[in-house]
Amino acid sequence: MTADDVFPVVLSLRVSVAALAVIAPVGVTLAVVQARARYPLRRLVDALIFLPLILPPSVVGFFLIVVFGREGPIGSVLDAFGMRLAFTPAAAVIASAVVAFPILVKTAQPAIEAVPAELEAVARTLGLSPLEVLARVTLPCAWRGIVAALVLGFARALGEFGATLMFAGNIPGRTNTMPLEIFSSYQTGDDARAALYVGVLTAVSFGVVFAANSAPRMLAR
Amino acid sequence: MNETSLPPALDARLSLRVFDGSSAFVVEAELALPSGVLVLFGPSGVGKTLTLLALAGLLDVRAGHIRLGDETLFDAARGVCVPAHRRRVGYVPQGQALFPFLDVAENVAFGLPRGQAGVARARALIDELEISHLASAHPTALSGGERQRVALARALAVEPRLLLLDEPFASVDEEGRASLRGVVAEVVRRRGIPAVLVTHDASEAQAMGDHMVRFARGRTIAAGAPRALLDAR
Repeated sequence: MTADDVFPVVLSLRVSVAALAVIAPVGVTLAVVQARARYPLRRLVDALIFLPLILPPSVVGFFLIVVFGREGPIGSVLDAFGMRLAFTPAAAVIASAVVAFPILVKTAQPAIEAVPAELEAVARTLGLSPLEVLARVTLPCAWRGIVAALVLGFARALGEFGATLMFAGNIPGRTNTMPLEIFSSYQTGDDARAALYVGVLTAVSFGVVFAANSAPRMLAR
Repeated sequence: MNETSLPPALDARLSLRVFDGSSAFVVEAELALPSGVLVLFGPSGVGKTLTLLALAGLLDVRAGHIRLGDETLFDAARGVCVPAHRRRVGYVPQGQALFPFLDVAENVAFGLPRGQAGVARARALIDELEISHLASAHPTALSGGERQRVALARALAVEPRLLLLDEPFASVDEEGRASLRGVVAEVVRRRGIPAVLVTHDASEAQAMGDHMVRFARGRTIAAGAPRALLDAR
């Protein structure tokens, strides 16, 4: 394999890991809030979390260009500091993060909701503050679901295509992640190259999901 | 010292409302306990457990007060509300709620500071409640009575000033019930801490209670000695 062949693999993994690093703390925190807190706009926030999952990726990509593009509310501020996001690897990270976010939150949330409230109540009476209860009771009880959420989030980020194409483009040697490379290789008739990335993506996705399924059982021994 | 000059161990007047889907359930409770064990008596669904949760600081109370000796834990009029984790109120829920990812010894030591002192204190409680042989057992391997002893030891570990017991004998078989009643009575008597015990069992109320309040449809409707109240039914 040449450096050109390896680049999309490395880029995809780096983009997915970076996207997961961005959304994991925010997503798990939001899952806890949605699972436990009762506030007036909770249903509205729920719907907003779901949105990137329901919308076509091209629509998500369009929104990202509107927000982060040079004319957008955030993009124009960044532009003033000489920074541009669109059509950069960072744009691929943002696109993957946004699309993976709902899967992460909506997988972690039921796991947190399933933790018996009685356990948390007892922990409070034993002198633990709400944050300590979260760290010492809620998360240890829900960790399998949270791991599953992180794995699914990573897998979704790894396979992200549409929003990345819109927002990060398909620039060889810069933003051509594996899914984009499969598309462009197939378009140009290079089926062997497309098959290579199909194989890598399938193997990595299967390996990650298999490891995530096996880890809780191995750790429980 | 003249005992009558001491404030009651527990003095509470509570007004709370909980929502279950679209409907609201209102609880209005008045409790007074000079010392010993106060029994909250009545059928299921009349607000006994909600009252217990409110005493522990686990439910929002709309109006009223909770005083423990001369300390105010809650006073709506004065805007006082000590959070649950600072009340030092021991709570043993009906389902015991043992932490499933910890063994018995770790459950008992959960609220204690880490280190030798915490381990020693947990060990002493485990011995006192006669569950030493279960110290490394997982909660799922325990019987109802054993689970109750672990939950009781865990609640006692933080040296509570008030002990709240929700149907503590409900999940225990007939044989273990008498023994567990003796254990609960003994740990409360030995420490001299007030306790509030929820039950719908008349014999249990009579055996355990020094004082009793009867609940009906979310309200306390009578208070007095257990035998007198049970005879008056």
